[in-house]
Amino acid sequence: MLAMVPWILAHPGITIRELAERFEVPEAELEADLALLPMCGLPPYTADRLIDVTVGDDGSVAIRLAEYFERPLRLTPSEGVALLAAGRALLAVPGSDPGGPLATALAKLEQALGAQGALAIDVGAGDHLDRLTRAAETGEQLEIDYYSSGRDEMTTRVVDPIRVFHALGAWYLAAYCHRAQAERLFRVDRVRAVRATGARAEVHPVDDDEELADLVYRPEPSDPRVKLRVGPDAAWVADSLPIEDATPRRGGGWDVVLAVSGPAFLERLLLQLGPAATVVGPIEAAKAGAEAARRVLARYEEG
Amino acid sequence: MSDRLERLVNLTATLLDTRRPLTLVELSERLEPSYPDDKVARRRAFERDKETLRNLGVPIVTEAVDPLTHELGYRVRPEDYYLADPGLTDPEQAALHVAVTAVRLDGGEAREGLRKLGGLEGAAAPPLATLEGTSGLGDLFDAVARRRSITFDYRGETRALDAYGVVHRFGHWYVVGRDRDKDAMRAFRVDRFDGPVEAGPPRAQEPPPGFDPASALRSDPLTYGDDEPVAAHVLVDAARAAWVVDALGEPAVVQRRDDGSVVVELEVVNREAFRSFVLELLEHAEVLDPPELRADIIDWLRGVAATA
Repeated sequence: MLAMVPWILAHPGITIRELAERFEVPEAELEADLALLPMCGLPPYTADRLIDVTVGDDGSVAIRLAEYFERPLRLTPSEGVALLAAGRALLAVPGSDPGGPLATALAKLEQALGAQGALAIDVGAGDHLDRLTRAAETGEQLEIDYYSSGRDEMTTRVVDPIRVFHALGAWYLAAYCHRAQAERLFRVDRVRAVRATGARAEVHPVDDDEELADLVYRPEPSDPRVKLRVGPDAAWVADSLPIEDATPRRGGGWDVVLAVSGPAFLERLLLQLGPAATVVGPIEAAKAGAEAARRVLARYEEG
Repeated sequence: MSDRLERLVNLTATLLDTRRPLTLVELSERLEPSYPDDKVARRRAFERDKETLRNLGVPIVTEAVDPLTHELGYRVRPEDYYLADPGLTDPEQAALHVAVTAVRLDGGEAREGLRKLGGLEGAAAPPLATLEGTSGLGDLFDAVARRRSITFDYRGETRALDAYGVVHRFGHWYVVGRDRDKDAMRAFRVDRFDGPVEAGPPRAQEPPPGFDPASALRSDPLTYGDDEPVAAHVLVDAARAAWVVDALGEPAVVQRRDDGSVVVELEVVNREAFRSFVLELLEHAEVLDPPELRADIIDWLRGVAATA
C-alpha cells in the first residue's frame, strides 16, 4: 500500500486492473485497500486532512491530499541487496549488454542506496556457456566432449539442448542425451568441446515452475546408497551434498545417507574427508576409499 | 484487521508530518483508530505497530523528549523515510523486472523492493538462475553501504571486520573487508557464521579507494586462510590439465610438458583447502614440493588407505 500510493499520485487515471498487475495484488484486495484509504490522513481527521480517493466508472484511480506519501518509501537493506543481486547476476551472464538499461538501472540504484561497489555477483561462465545457451534457444543439436566427474572419464555424446540454467553455484545444461537415451544434466564447466551435428534438436517441453535447484539434485533410484558417520568438524557434508537422511549423534557429528552418482564421486569424498568420516556401510564403499588412497599413493611412492 | 491497517497508515503519516517527536500519549490522543485506553495494552499495540512498520522499512526513531523524565518520543525524519529517487526510466524499470524474474534469490525480497520503485514494468522472464539466500545478508549489506564495522563469531573465534563488500560466488555468500585485529584483508563465508552479526555505528570506516569486492575475494577457497603462505607446485596429468588451468588461470602454469601434463604453482594459505583441491583430482595430480606439503598428503593418504 505504501509502495502503491506514490505511484498512483504520480500516475492519476491509472486503472485498478493496471495497478493489480503492476503490483501483483488481486483486484479485490486492491479495491478493499482503496476503500480504506479515505479514512486515513492526519489528525484531526477532518475532510481537508483525509486522503481523497476517486475511483471512476472505468476503474481509473486518482488520489489527492496525500503529499507526505508523494515519494516512495526507502528500500530495506534486504530489499536493496536482493534487487541488486538479481540485477548484477543477470548482468554477469555472458551476452547481456554492459551498457544497456539493466546496467544503468543498477548504477542508479546503487547510487541511491549509497552502495556503489558494495556488491559483486560472480556466476562464473566457462568457455561454452554462450554457445550452449544459443543452441538451446534455437533448437540446434550438438555433439559434446564431456568430463563425467562421477566416473572420472571423458565421454563424447550427441545431445538435444533443452535449457541452460544456474543453480547451486554452477551452470547446467539440461539436454536429451542420445547416448543415455534419456534427459541428462551436464555441468557447463565440464563440457570440453562443442560441435554442431547439423541436425535439428527434437523439442522437449520446459517446466518454468520447477525450482531450478530441485533439477540439480535428483539422484537416480538405482544409484547406490552409502552411510557415513561424520564428525562435528565435517558438518559441511550435510549442507553441501545430496544427503537423503541425516541423524545427529550424541556428542556431535552425524550419520548421513547419500546417493552415489559414480565411483569417483565417492572416492573423492572419502579422500577429502579422511579421518573426519568413516563408512558405516556397505563394506564395498569403505574398500573403495582405501583402494583409491592406495592408487594415489602409488604415484608418490614410485617417484 | 482493516482497523489496524488504517491505523498503520495514519501512524506513518503522523510520524512523517510531525516536526518534533511525539510521545505515545500524544499519539494516542491524535490517532484514529485509537490505541487501547489500558496503559499496558496500549504500549503493546504500539510496539507491535512500530515493529511492523520498521520491517517495511519505515525508519521510526526514538528520542528523549524530556531530559528530566526520560520520556520517549517518536518520529520519522522525512530525509530517512524517502527513497532517494533513482529516477529510473521505463526501460530500466522493465530491465529490473526481467532481472528479478530471471534470477531468484532464495528468501529474497527483490519484488518488494521493485514495488517501492514503482512496480513491475513490462514482461516477466523465464527462470534462468537461482542464488542461494542466507540469513543476515540484509544486515551485512547495510553495514557495507553505511560503512559500519561489525563483529561476529566465526568457527569459534570472534572477528571484528570493517565490512567493505558482499560477494556471491560458487553458490555462497562472502563478506570481505579489513580484519581489525589482523589488520589485513579477509573474506568470510556468511553461512558459516556461528551467530548473528553485531553492527556498530555508521560512517565508522572507509574502504580503500577503488575497492572492488570481487577481486578482493580471490577466485577460490585456496586463497584465503591464516596459514603461513607457502608456494606449492603440483603436477597435473593431461586428462585434467585443461580444467585446472581454467580454474587457476594461465599465470599459474609454470611448466607445460610434452605429454600434455602441466605444473602449476599455488600460494597455499589454507592447507586443508589445498589438500581438498589436490585430492579432487584423484590420481591425476601430485604435489611436487615443498616437501612438507608432499609429506602431509602422503600421511593423509596412508591414513585413509589403512581404514579397510
